[in-house]
Amino acid sequence: MIRMITKRLLTSIFTLIILVSVVFAMTHATPGGPAFSILGQKATPAAVKALNARLGLNVPWWDQYFIWWGHLLQGRLGFSYLLNRPVTELISEYLGNTLMLYIGAIVLAVVLAIGIGLVQGVTWGRWPARLIGAFQLAAYALPTFFVGTMFILYFGVEWQVLPTGGITNLRDVHPGIIDYGRHLVLPILTVGLLSVSGLSRYFGASVHEELNKDYVRTALAKGLTFRAVLFGHVLRNALRPLVTILGLSFPGIFVGSVLVESVFNYPGLGYLLWRSALSQDYPVVSGIVLLLGVITVVGNLLADLVNGLLDPREIYD
Amino acid sequence: MSAVLTLDQFAVALRRGRGKNVPILDDINLTVAAGEMTALVGESGSGKTIASLGVIRLLPRGASTAGRVMLGAQDLTDLSDAEMRKVRGRDIGMVFQNPLSALNPSTRVGAQITEVYRLHTGESDRAARARALELFGEVGIPNPADRLDDYPHQFSGGMRQRVMIAMALACSPKLLIADEPTTGLDLLVARQIMALLTKLRRERQMGVLFITHDLSVVEEHADQVHVLYAGRSVEWGPARSFFEQPRHPYSQALLGAVPRLGQARLVSIPGNLPDPETRPPGCRFAPRCSYREDACETAYPAADTLGGTVFACRRGREIVPEVLGAVPQAAVRARQSGPVVLQADALGVDYPRSAASFLRGLLGGRDRLTALSNISFSLQRGQCLGVVGESGSGKSTLGRAVLQMIPYHGRVILDGHDFTTMGAREKRAARLGVQVVFQDPRESLNPRMRIGDIVAEPLKLAGMSGSRARRDAAAALLNRVGLNDRMMSQFPLAVSGGQAQRIAIARALATKPAMIVLDEPTSSLDVSTQAMLLNLLKDLAETDGLSYILISHDIAAVSYMADTIAVLRGGQLMEMGDAASVLGAPQSEYTRELVAASPHFRSTNKMGAASGAVAVADKSGF
Repeated sequence: MIRMITKRLLTSIFTLIILVSVVFAMTHATPGGPAFSILGQKATPAAVKALNARLGLNVPWWDQYFIWWGHLLQGRLGFSYLLNRPVTELISEYLGNTLMLYIGAIVLAVVLAIGIGLVQGVTWGRWPARLIGAFQLAAYALPTFFVGTMFILYFGVEWQVLPTGGITNLRDVHPGIIDYGRHLVLPILTVGLLSVSGLSRYFGASVHEELNKDYVRTALAKGLTFRAVLFGHVLRNALRPLVTILGLSFPGIFVGSVLVESVFNYPGLGYLLWRSALSQDYPVVSGIVLLLGVITVVGNLLADLVNGLLDPREIYD
Repeated sequence: MSAVLTLDQFAVALRRGRGKNVPILDDINLTVAAGEMTALVGESGSGKTIASLGVIRLLPRGASTAGRVMLGAQDLTDLSDAEMRKVRGRDIGMVFQNPLSALNPSTRVGAQITEVYRLHTGESDRAARARALELFGEVGIPNPADRLDDYPHQFSGGMRQRVMIAMALACSPKLLIADEPTTGLDLLVARQIMALLTKLRRERQMGVLFITHDLSVVEEHADQVHVLYAGRSVEWGPARSFFEQPRHPYSQALLGAVPRLGQARLVSIPGNLPDPETRPPGCRFAPRCSYREDACETAYPAADTLGGTVFACRRGREIVPEVLGAVPQAAVRARQSGPVVLQADALGVDYPRSAASFLRGLLGGRDRLTALSNISFSLQRGQCLGVVGESGSGKSTLGRAVLQMIPYHGRVILDGHDFTTMGAREKRAARLGVQVVFQDPRESLNPRMRIGDIVAEPLKLAGMSGSRARRDAAAALLNRVGLNDRMMSQFPLAVSGGQAQRIAIARALATKPAMIVLDEPTSSLDVSTQAMLLNLLKDLAETDGLSYILISHDIAAVSYMADTIAVLRGGQLMEMGDAASVLGAPQSEYTRELVAASPHFRSTNKMGAASGAVAVADKSGF
């Protein structure tokens, strides 16, 4: 187990080094360089030169690369060109909202996917599973912004039961925690429901596959009820592919949240990324992309560890 | 002797698609007495597994049953589902084939055993654990206390099957149903499992219903034999009478299909098992039976007996045991000692594996594992080298090295050309001269390719141009292995296991190889199918002068095919020599054990000593 974790950690560190380098390359390959996006296209060469010196862009790129690494290791991600605030400060301000949305959506998706997948796997080939399959495909085909807009239209405008925007910040929750929670409901539903279709389909198939394995017949031959076999034997083995897929879908869920945050005018990292990308505020963009990378790598590491706990064979290989 | 299990007119029909249920099993009458073993014998498709699942009422959804299943005095077909659950695991223990998949891979074996004990006795966790420990000792698992918390994959195949048996015995059932428990296990291990089952049923006065496709496995252990063919009983009765005087032509064919040393020809049954939906109205074996008369095809024959077994055959009285020996024996041909086709000098194979040391493992360090060391042999044209050994003995590694599929040291010389001195292009051309047939024909044929394309593919690689010409050649190859070339446009899943293996042989023949490596070619096949294939391979060797390396753990098959036998253990050559002398007078203790463990082989010593002696004399003549 320790060997496996150590190996996975080393691989993760290697992945992160590659990621950081790619992000560095992307931000330094922008047309005209950042000075133009800050000063505008009509900036005088002298002004550009002065700004480049101030931003540390006048040294060769490899020097910049190592300086950047130095800053990263100290937790410094640079300054936003436009808002003129440290990127770390901006991110930490928006991170709370995004994590609430992110974690809420994942928990919702996993719980629903397990429930739906169990029904689908058990009734595979018969009408409940087919019906579920049809819904899954339909839900999979719906674009995020459409679902979000429909939610706003019905829950917010038509029935007026839930707020559709204007969430504050986790740090200073003005009207109280209940109100904050009410603001979270629609965004979480939108992001979560879109992941449910894919995850539940995967899980349903894997429950079906496990149910046809020999050990299920053995367990039934011991006199266990079907329910005991399902929850005592099948569930755990069927969860493994779900965990792997979940680990891989973290970045996808984040991309979903970028759209959803813009639809709901939700002050999170997705919203910040969207705004910063539009205004070519590269330090902020690269900071968020890096964070997303870290989340993805850590997510996959966690998925591997959970799988190690679910299946002892993983550990010994 | 009181009956533990009685099947009375038991029948099962399964749902296939949307239509009516299709009868799978008809009118089975069978008894298992306390402390005795009844062997339910049948080839794949005979319905034997459906019978066992029918007893414990775990048939697939939509199945229907008829008749009675009496467990002692209780009719299981009367029980409610909840009552039936109490019977399973408590009164009836089940042991399945392939314990690696039959045990839950992610649950500790101890927990899998305590689960069933606690379920039926309501005992505490601690008492259940003590019980599991006791059972582990009883089934012969060394260091039981250390092994309870291991996972199934940490056990060897034989030990896993012992775990399954321990689990089945947890609540001291009256009846144990064992469905092919030794299939897939090495010979020595299978023998130990059989001995364990016999010991346990005697000690516990437990009835055992033993389901198998291989008559020779049960010859020493069964008290009663019950042979199924296409869902009906064809012959049943005391095991002793059965093995002395099998009366039904199918039983005889099954026994005759078991290979023996020095036998010129195996009995093979022409044709295929009928599909459940198109079973003949009369005797189901009639279309394949050489004793068939017109009446056989109209009505199912009534059961008849001459005091020994009961048989469902109109002509069973006429069919005498001598028929067994009267197999069409082609004259034993003295094989010419031809030129050497393949020579191996000091062949060795090392496998890298992750280093045992943690730090070196992290740094990508590797340990070397010797899979094969210092093997030398030569193979003459038209001859067969049998390579025998248990799993892990290095026999498959040997085959792979000869096929140039893995790096090795030493030399492999094909027709006088040394592979180690060849250039890449030369080597590729030379490799066409050595082909291979693998164990599981379905797994080794690409399911998405048409059969014609599978057979024609090596021709393309060999540089044959023109798809028309390749198709014609593929058709000819299929005909040579006894298949119809109309099969060309079908997919491998549409054919039977025996046919699939013929296709694999046709593919191997495509490049006109000098020799073929046969890696357990018949291990996954029924006995009668195996007989057909071995006969085919033997014919090809004679007509084409093909040479074989036959890799197998089945001594009987090897004894039938091989001229020379090499015995491997742990990558070392234990013994090599003339087949008759290696099997007749083994030099090493290990070979003696292997030979003794082979039920096929022993039974032939008893029954066919004379014909064996003739063959030996013939072979030693040159």
